[in-house]
This record gives sequence, C-alpha cells and structure tokens, in this order.
Amino acid sequence: MIEQRVARTAGEVLEPARRERRFMTGSEAVKEAILRSNITMAIAYPITPQSESMHLVGDLYAEGYIPDYFRGESEFAVMSQVAGAAMGGVRVFTATGGPGTLRAFEMFPCWAGMRLPIVCCFFTRGVNSPLSIQPDTIEMAFLLDTGMIMLHAEGAQDLYDFTLRAFAIAEQTDVHIPVGVFADGFFVTHTREMVAVGPPDLKLPPYDPHRSPVPAMDMEGVPVRHMRDPFVMKSNFISYAAHASWQQEVMAAAERSRKYVHQYLGGLLETEDEDADILIMAAGTAVSQSREAIQLARAQGIDVGLVKFKCLRPFPTEEVQHLARRARAIVVPEFNRVGWLAREIKAVVDDNSRVVGAPRVFGGMTMPSEMILAQLKACVPATR
Amino acid sequence: MKRSLIRMSGLGGQGLVTAAHILGTAATKDGLVSTVNPFFGAEKRLAPAESYVRISTEPIHQRGEVLFPNIIMIFHPHVITLGKCYTMPFFDGLQPEGIIIVNAEGELGIGREDLDKLAALGARLYSIPATAVAVEVAETELATNMAMLGALIGVTRIVTFASLREAVLERFGGAKFVASGTTAALDNVLAAKFTKMAQLVDKNMAVMEAAAEAVQEHSLAAPRKGGCHVCGRQG
Amino acid sequence: MTKQMFRIAPGFEEIMPQEYRDLVTHGPYDRNVGVADLGTFKELLEEHPLCAGCGLALSLRLFLASLPAPADTVVVGSTGCSAIAFPQVGLHNIHGLFGNQNAIASGLKRALKLRFPDQPKDVVVVAGDGATADIGLEMVMHSWFRGENIATVMLDNEAYANTGGQESGMSPRGTVLNMAPTGKKFEKVAMPEIAREAGCAYVATTSPLHARRFEKAIRRAILVARDVGSTYVQVFCPCPTNYKFRPDETLSVIRKREKEGVFQYREYITPQAQEYLAAVEGEKQ
Repeated sequence: MIEQRVARTAGEVLEPARRERRFMTGSEAVKEAILRSNITMAIAYPITPQSESMHLVGDLYAEGYIPDYFRGESEFAVMSQVAGAAMGGVRVFTATGGPGTLRAFEMFPCWAGMRLPIVCCFFTRGVNSPLSIQPDTIEMAFLLDTGMIMLHAEGAQDLYDFTLRAFAIAEQTDVHIPVGVFADGFFVTHTREMVAVGPPDLKLPPYDPHRSPVPAMDMEGVPVRHMRDPFVMKSNFISYAAHASWQQEVMAAAERSRKYVHQYLGGLLETEDEDADILIMAAGTAVSQSREAIQLARAQGIDVGLVKFKCLRPFPTEEVQHLARRARAIVVPEFNRVGWLAREIKAVVDDNSRVVGAPRVFGGMTMPSEMILAQLKACVPATR
Repeated sequence: MKRSLIRMSGLGGQGLVTAAHILGTAATKDGLVSTVNPFFGAEKRLAPAESYVRISTEPIHQRGEVLFPNIIMIFHPHVITLGKCYTMPFFDGLQPEGIIIVNAEGELGIGREDLDKLAALGARLYSIPATAVAVEVAETELATNMAMLGALIGVTRIVTFASLREAVLERFGGAKFVASGTTAALDNVLAAKFTKMAQLVDKNMAVMEAAAEAVQEHSLAAPRKGGCHVCGRQG
Repeated sequence: MTKQMFRIAPGFEEIMPQEYRDLVTHGPYDRNVGVADLGTFKELLEEHPLCAGCGLALSLRLFLASLPAPADTVVVGSTGCSAIAFPQVGLHNIHGLFGNQNAIASGLKRALKLRFPDQPKDVVVVAGDGATADIGLEMVMHSWFRGENIATVMLDNEAYANTGGQESGMSPRGTVLNMAPTGKKFEKVAMPEIAREAGCAYVATTSPLHARRFEKAIRRAILVARDVGSTYVQVFCPCPTNYKFRPDETLSVIRKREKEGVFQYREYITPQAQEYLAAVEGEKQ
C-alpha cells in the first residue's frame, strides 16, 4: 500500500501537475480513479461486463485503501446499501450494467429524491430478452428521467477522468444528487489503451456530510424526521405542495450542476468543425466510430463535423440548438435499438426532419465506420 | 507505417486474450499506438473467442471487433473446419494483400474455393504447428499463444523481441493482470508448471523464437498435375 | 447526540411548536426511561394517523419507549402502516422502498460505525410482515447471513393492511383475505426459525399485551445487535380493521391466541449473546 496524502483541493487530484501514461483496460481505469477518490465504502455485485472493475476495487479494499467493501445479494440490495451508507454521511461507490441496472431500477429515482451524491458506473450492455452480454446502450434510455446526472465516457481516459470528477460534481452543496458515469461494455471496459493517470499517492479531500443540503441520518442533529423523502402518504394540500416543490428542487439541483460540469469537464459537449455542412452528434463509443468515419468522409470531400456529448443529464439543450442552426443534416449513430439520443436531439432543434437517427447497431455487434460513412453520403445532395 | 488491424480467432482457453495483451503492450513499448480488446460470449472453454489488436503510428479511434483486418491469426483448426468463428468464412473482411497465419500441422482444411478467393485478394497464407512447437520447447500446450505470436513476428516483424520480452515479464511477473475471471486461475496452473518467473519468461521467448523460424508460407495457386497439394510447389 | 444539538436558541422559544418544545424539555433522549415511565415524559410518537385500536400503533409507542439509547438511534422503516406513523417520530428515521429496509440499514450501520467508532449508533429496522417475510425476505436474510449489527423488528399484523387487507406470508393458514378468496393455503412463514438458522444472535417473539416483556425483548435485541450480531424480534400486533374485530378487542385477540397456544412467547439467545447480556444487564443492576 502506498502512503496517500489528502489533497488540499479536489483540483490537485483532478488536474494533477504530472500524469503517468499506462496501457490499461477501462476496468483498470476505474480502479485507478477509485484509488484516488478517497471513498469510505464500496459495495459490489457481479455482472458482465462490470465485474472486473469491482474486483479491482475489492483489491483496493484488501490493500487497505478503502475502509469497507462487500458483495451484496443483488443489484437492488446493493443500490439500497449504498443509499444507506450515503445517508450515513460517507462517500460510496458501486457499479453495474444492463440487466443489473434494470434489477436495481427502483432505487435510482430514490437516490435523486433522497439527495444522495452517490457515484455509480454503468457499463452498458444488452438487456433481456433475448439474452445478450454484448454492448448496447439501451439502459440509458430508461435512466434519462431518474433525476441523476449522466456522464458518458468515450474511452478509458474519459472513464478515469469522469469517475473522479463525478465525485466533485455530485457533492456540491447546491447539487448533491447522484452521478451515473456510463461507458460502453467491452468496447471500453475490456479494451486496453493508453490512459494518463495522476500520482497514486494523492487522493481527493474527504466528503463532508455537513456540507450536505439534507443532514446525514446519524442522530447528530435535530431529532425530528429529516425529510430525505418528502411528506409522503399524507392527503392534504401541504403534502402535495411539499412533494411537488421537492421534485422541482431535485430538477433544479441538476440544472445547477451545469456550471460544475463546465468547471470539471470543460462543458457538456465537445465539438470538432462545428460549422460543417453535416454534423455527427454522438455519445460513448459511437463517437470513436464516428471519428474514423469522418476521416473517410473528408477523404471523399464531404464536409462533416462532430459533436460529442459528455453530459446527457442535464441535457445541453442550448448548445445543441446553437450548433444545429446551420447544419444541413445531423446524423446520430447509436448503439441501441430505440435511438434515444436522436429522440433527445429531435426534441430540441428546429426543423427536426434534419435529424437522421442512423445508423443503429444493437445486439452486440460493432458499428463499422463504413456504415456511418454511408449515412453521411446519403445526406449529400445528389447534385454535388 | 500503415495501420495493422489484427484479428485473432480461436477457442476459449487458448490464450488469445493474453496474446493480444502482450502484443499490444509490446507495440506501446516500441513507441507505437495500440488498442486491444477481446470479444467473447458467455460461453467458456472451447467456445469461439476473438481478440483484436490495432497497431499504428497514429491515434486509433475505432473500437470493437476488427471487421476489416489485414492480419488474421487462426489459433485452432476448428475455426476453419467447424466454423468456430464470429465471421463466415473465417477470412471475411480480409483486406487486399492481407496475411493469414494458421496453427496447423499438415492440412490447413481450407477448401479450394476459399483458397481461390484468398488468391484473388493477393493474400499471403502461412502455417505454424504452434501447439507442437509449444509442447516441444516449453513442454506445455499453454504456450500455443506464444508460438502464434512468434509466427507473427517471423512473418511481419511488427514488434521487436526486446519489447515482447518486457511485455511477457510484465504480464506474468508484474502487476496483477485482469482479462476475465478465469484467466487468473489459469495463471496459477502456469506458475505451478514454471516455478521460476525468469524461467517462464525465457521459455515463452524460446517458444516465440522457435515459432518465428518454423512458420511456413503456402502457395495459393491451384496445383498443377503432380504438384504438392499443400504448398503448390512443383516437383 | 447531545441535547445541545437541538436546544432552541434564546428568543425563538415562542415560535417553535409546542410539540418541539416538549421534546426539548421533557423528551427521553438523555434520560434513562422505559415503558414503566410512560406518562412521565414526552413520547417520541404521540400523535399518529393509524386506525383506532391498531396493534401496531401500540407496539410502536412501546418500542420507542424501550430504546436503550434514543439519542443515538436511527430507525429504518419500510412501506406499510408503520411508515405512515414514522413522519411523526422524534428520531432520525428513513423510509426507503418496500422490502429493502435491511439493505439500507446494512449500509447505514457500516457508515455510522466508521464515522463514530467510539459512539454506539443503534440502527433498528422496524417493518411490517409483508416487508420482512415477503418482498424483503432476501435482503432481511442476507443481512443476517452477513451478521450485520442491526436489530430487525417485525410488526406482524398478519396482512398487507395499508393496501386494504391482502394475505401476507404471515397470515395464518385458512384466513380469508383479499387475494386469498378461498383462504390462505400455507402456514405462517417460520421467521423465528429462519432467523435462528440464518445466524441471528438473539431472536424473540413478543406482543404489546405484556409491556415489560416486550420492552425486555426490544432492549436485548438492540444491545446484542450493538456488539454481537444480527437480532430479530417478531411482534404480534393484530389489525382490527382488516381482521374485523372491534378496536377495543386488540389485546383480547392476542390473549385468546395466547390461550389457544397458537401464539407463543419465545426467546433464543446464542451463548455468546447470553454472556454479553449477563454482563450488560448485570452492570445495570
């Protein structure tokens, strides 16, 4: 075990003066992030393609970096256990994916409603039925309205950076809601690539439960029921009003997180040649595949730019509207059947017939860059 | 340098994940850019498994399966003969002038029709009795993956032996490696067979070097009467 | 927690509700009170929205008066009738979801142990029979397998009462309830036996009919959970609304079941818990 020093500011860990480049998988990048995150507890439950990451977090516990770690009995139990720990006033971490996400689902809106700054990695994969363990981002469609902040990593570097930064965003007093860090299963978790990591002997400042907008459930405050959830089950005007304003406050917390996403992630999205004729808008590894396609397209004289979503909740509505204003077409390649990202974009841009929700790949296959290229070609007027 | 897109096809348990990891690591040690990813289903031993290694001097964005490889490595004859493969035929997507290396002793099991298609692509076909080399040099079938890497170096010199040695040392002797849940269990079997780490590395390197020597090219041309049906050579 | 934490700042006394002022001046937090002292202190639950004659409401009052350290007790509840009463309880209490109470309590207890290594924080689960024996059984049992330092109290009214009287796993065989229109087809789930086999260090069945016995079971369960391991108390507290008896008959229904021998008071204590209790109970005397 390396002797670790607590950083004076989160920035020291998030933007270290020096970084070391190492060849590692996405799962190992999660371990590196958690090593530097100063968590008190982690709780695990196996599911492909997540398991490796929580094995490695378990190794951190065995080595003495994390005070408590155990395997829960199901994803629903684990999401409840991390909620209990967070209400107890400590920093916690867990990860799941695909069917595990769906098994645990009832807890996600609960986390947001309870104002818990839990950081959870989601390694996306197909959900039944038919059964598949392969990459597919459909679970993200279901999670869009649970109240959590959603960050989508393109590769292992993003996964390392976003996981660490998620704690800094989630724990702000005026935010204090969960952050889901999403990465595409196998394409990121099991792919080995170069990742630049900060020094291992420096970790984030500890979580301070006294900065929480809702007090910890530790009987160290006023001994009346603190409304981690509002005045439930009462049939009167005050109860309805409290419930409604509580929900608005959770939404407002997500809105207030925008400034921290800018501060820590440099914005909700990233662009390349944003004034191009055709824009590809994508998230996750669909961005990587698009980068290849763009190189092929440019070689054929097609004017195409790229918009990479890093943050999907809150949604970069104004940014997308601004970027879309001049584009002839917006191509949205996705690793799922329903095309939730295309739907999100169509909902905010003018003349949304310009939004092409294709190509879509699901069931576990990769997305050939040539498929995206074919879509780009189809957007070029025949006269050209 | 042109980009190398390598597809390794074989059976679960043959060490494709490890071979890809070592190759990718060696490439980065040679100062190249590399990404590596395995692909497998929920099945275990003897089910089709693939690993992909991308090596380039430029940043690599593309992820997932290598659909258009310029190098295909076949770790087991069943990939060809039983279709234990993610693509049909096994060389689907091979780029023009691509390379195929098959682990085989004697017959490769590739039909005339497929050989003609490969010839039309200008492909180069090689074979290596990788399992036999592994057993002979390291006294274990578990080194088959090393023999396959050796054959690849014999044909392409894609990475240096010095970097491969470093990568092997890191993989077996250095930090804890994570491929999939069962790989660690297999490592223990290996460690028990080779008590000393240095010995393990030396044996692996010896397997690679022997395989680099033993790899053989096969002609894709249709044999004329009297020609050898394996290599197409006359006389 | 010290009383200092919630004392009213000078000048604000008048604007605070009477209920709160009473808690500050007459609450049980820093006093050694029990069920025998009921009527002499401000109870942690005084008004509640439960039905007249509710066995669960009576049990909750006794439970809150039985806590060995109310100033450092957090209660985790679950969906059901008790969840409706808990917003009026003067303790930190959590309503999670239906059935996940023992999972939430596991995470909470571990976090509090790490944050307050020198100050015991009692985490007590109080949930109904549906939450404990049906929808949450997996998480209840796994918290016991892991030996979590939490006490689990089941308020057994033998039905899903809050949703309108449906059969639960704890309803007696043959009972006609909603969703069991021809009568329940199997026995009450053997929760005390399950608790014992799952590794609980202390298991008891009790009822609000005998207040002192009830208090003893709750105190023992909480104390053993603090230092030995998981504990379980099953409280028989029948429901007049759904079992169609008069509100003033609740205790006589318990007495009748007791006389018939259908409901029995039982206590199981592991040797380790026995030793521990002998030490702490001896200390007190």
